[in-house]
Amino acid sequence: MKTKRTIHQVLAIAKTDFLGIARNRTAIFFTLLFPLFFLIIIGFTFGTQGAGETSRIRVGVVNLDREETIVNGTVSQNSTIGDAFVQALRNANFTVYEYMEYGDKETNGTAAYDISRRKIKIAVSIPANFTESLSFRYVDSSGRPIPTKAHLILYTDPSDPTGSLIAQQSILGFISGFISHYQEVVISQIPETFQKYVKVLVDPITVSTNEADVSGRRLRWIDYMVPGTLGLVLLWSGLNHASVAIANERTRGTFQRIVIAPVSPATVLAGKFLSCLAIVYLSSAIMLGSGILFFQVNLYWNLPAIVLSIFLGALSAIGIGLIISSLAKNVEAANAITVLISVPLQFFIGAFFPLSVMPRPAQIFGEALPFTKLVNAIQGIMTKNLPFEAVMPEIIYLTVSGLILFALGIIAYWSSLKRL
Amino acid sequence: MNRKKGDTESVDLNDVEVDSVTKRFGETVAVDNVSMNVARGEIFGLLGPNGAGKSTLIKMLCGLMSPTSGTIKIGGYGIQDDPVKVKELLGVVPQDIVLYNYLNARENLAFFGRLYGLSGSKLKNRIDELLKFTQLDEKAVKRRISTYSGGMKRRVNIAAALLHEPQVILLDEPTAGLDPKNKLALWEIIQNLHEEGKTILLTTHMMDEAEELCNRVAIMDRGKIIALDAPHQLIKKVKMENTITVVPDRITPKLTEAVNKISGVKRSYRAFDENEGVESLKIITEMAEDILPEVVSAVSSAGTKILSVELSRVTLEDVFILLTGRSLREEEERYL
Repeated sequence: MKTKRTIHQVLAIAKTDFLGIARNRTAIFFTLLFPLFFLIIIGFTFGTQGAGETSRIRVGVVNLDREETIVNGTVSQNSTIGDAFVQALRNANFTVYEYMEYGDKETNGTAAYDISRRKIKIAVSIPANFTESLSFRYVDSSGRPIPTKAHLILYTDPSDPTGSLIAQQSILGFISGFISHYQEVVISQIPETFQKYVKVLVDPITVSTNEADVSGRRLRWIDYMVPGTLGLVLLWSGLNHASVAIANERTRGTFQRIVIAPVSPATVLAGKFLSCLAIVYLSSAIMLGSGILFFQVNLYWNLPAIVLSIFLGALSAIGIGLIISSLAKNVEAANAITVLISVPLQFFIGAFFPLSVMPRPAQIFGEALPFTKLVNAIQGIMTKNLPFEAVMPEIIYLTVSGLILFALGIIAYWSSLKRL
Repeated sequence: MNRKKGDTESVDLNDVEVDSVTKRFGETVAVDNVSMNVARGEIFGLLGPNGAGKSTLIKMLCGLMSPTSGTIKIGGYGIQDDPVKVKELLGVVPQDIVLYNYLNARENLAFFGRLYGLSGSKLKNRIDELLKFTQLDEKAVKRRISTYSGGMKRRVNIAAALLHEPQVILLDEPTAGLDPKNKLALWEIIQNLHEEGKTILLTTHMMDEAEELCNRVAIMDRGKIIALDAPHQLIKKVKMENTITVVPDRITPKLTEAVNKISGVKRSYRAFDENEGVESLKIITEMAEDILPEVVSAVSSAGTKILSVELSRVTLEDVFILLTGRSLREEEERYL
């Protein structure tokens, strides 16, 4: 009888708490839809394009090869190879903007100006003697060609090191391919018996790159990102909601009214936990469902492992939320503390950016977060179809950190009862 | 056991027993050795200025706070020994509207009902009864609480405390901030509960409320109960002068002489109300109600006609000021 009554009380508290979110548009947005908002924006921007796509790299080209230059004491104006280089860039699907000069950041219409305004990510300056150098026009007094290297200059955006690095690597890869093609053309003009030796000499090592079969399926970036956003769900739905769960009741005065009834504090806590958990699972389902609906993600669905991982991650999120909720004087203070914690944390859990691109201290901090472990575990389970044993280190970490943080949350909650 | 207002003699069962209760916060004594009983079926008022210790006492009665020393019993059960039983006997109406704004009245009541173990048809029937009792129409109960007027919210706030049919009802400032119409409606609800035999303990800043509703009142100040009795007994105990204001068609020396001869009249004087443009005769006495008929006949025998007569008697407010040195209205304004 007493157990049945307690179950009714827990369910009543959980339902009322849940309706508080369901009937409040702002709360729905920040608790349930905010991670989805991120997923859709970032997913549509980057997710469906694939890692090898170059069209999103905007390259500025200053083709000085079209200008006059002095070769062997006479004026020369030949831009055949420079123009071929620019056309090849276009053919390689880069988004190309052409400029008359590199210029400076103050002069509109120059490459430097557009780099400073982030219109282009990188600029390539082709020298005036580009064609003349590569076509052996420089000769000595006896008429023999003088070996002359063509020199390209790359300009990158220091304010965006990651973007610049990607653009730089892509352009260097393109140049390498362009050089190979050039070598093919030049070598074809020497006697055939020497051609194969020269080919080996100029390009002694060949490289081919294959993606390791970590998944058994061909995956895109979005396929990794969607499971990763479950870390955001814990921050935005779990931590966010738990942090206001008690503070809201206290501010409204309903907490006192609940405690005046024959309801134990443990029952109130159980109701709140249940509601937070329901919100976390609902938000997770929305995220994964949206991934399927909007991006047709190609994932493995080991549901018991997914549900358990989310539960363990939720323990940490709700534990931190309970600490905030119990210690904050009112709901406004709880909200402020939550934003202060969850907004920076979302960049350290590997949901948007891989931790490997971050400085070492940030990597250590990120790796210590239980939410990062959840992201790793879920990505392993859902994208690589790893067995549960393979993500056991993450699961153990999530369990231990979850139990510790939740226990601290209970202690904070119990101490808050003295302040009624 | 219904009892008439002021009838405190035939008490044989106390629903609230406060025995030598003290509450300390460090060096501060918020409640200082307070003892009081509230009899079954009684409406008991707790008055006092801010900081008198009322809120602390109320919190201890609700079980939100433990006394430093002393015992509290509700319905014969010790609040420390059997808190669950006490909570089942007690219905608490907080002074603020403590409801979920995003739920409608029925959903709010269902929530609080479930906390008290009600469910199914029993809960539904009880909610229907209370919605009728608190005069909330069916259309209104389907709307969210946030759309309700202050009076409607206050009625749902009371209904939420009555779901489990408590024997003892604790109302903290039940009519604070309400307009006269809603105040009267709530008084009616409280009187109906009284007629059902409920024991009611209320705190209030409104003297008319205490005088109108309460069988007995306790005045608290600086953590102690400094007076406890029926309102009219408290007024009787305080020896204060009353004023009878007579407005005759004219004031003659014969009239003044006749009035001053009445036994019990201390003095009289003429007063002119500049706003009304009316001259009146003010008669100072300690027994205004007793000598009023003699005053009326004195006016007639002096050959004058009475246009109006007003009796300014000692009120509970006067008693409060006398005992605490502060006006309850000041407290009320501070509270509002």
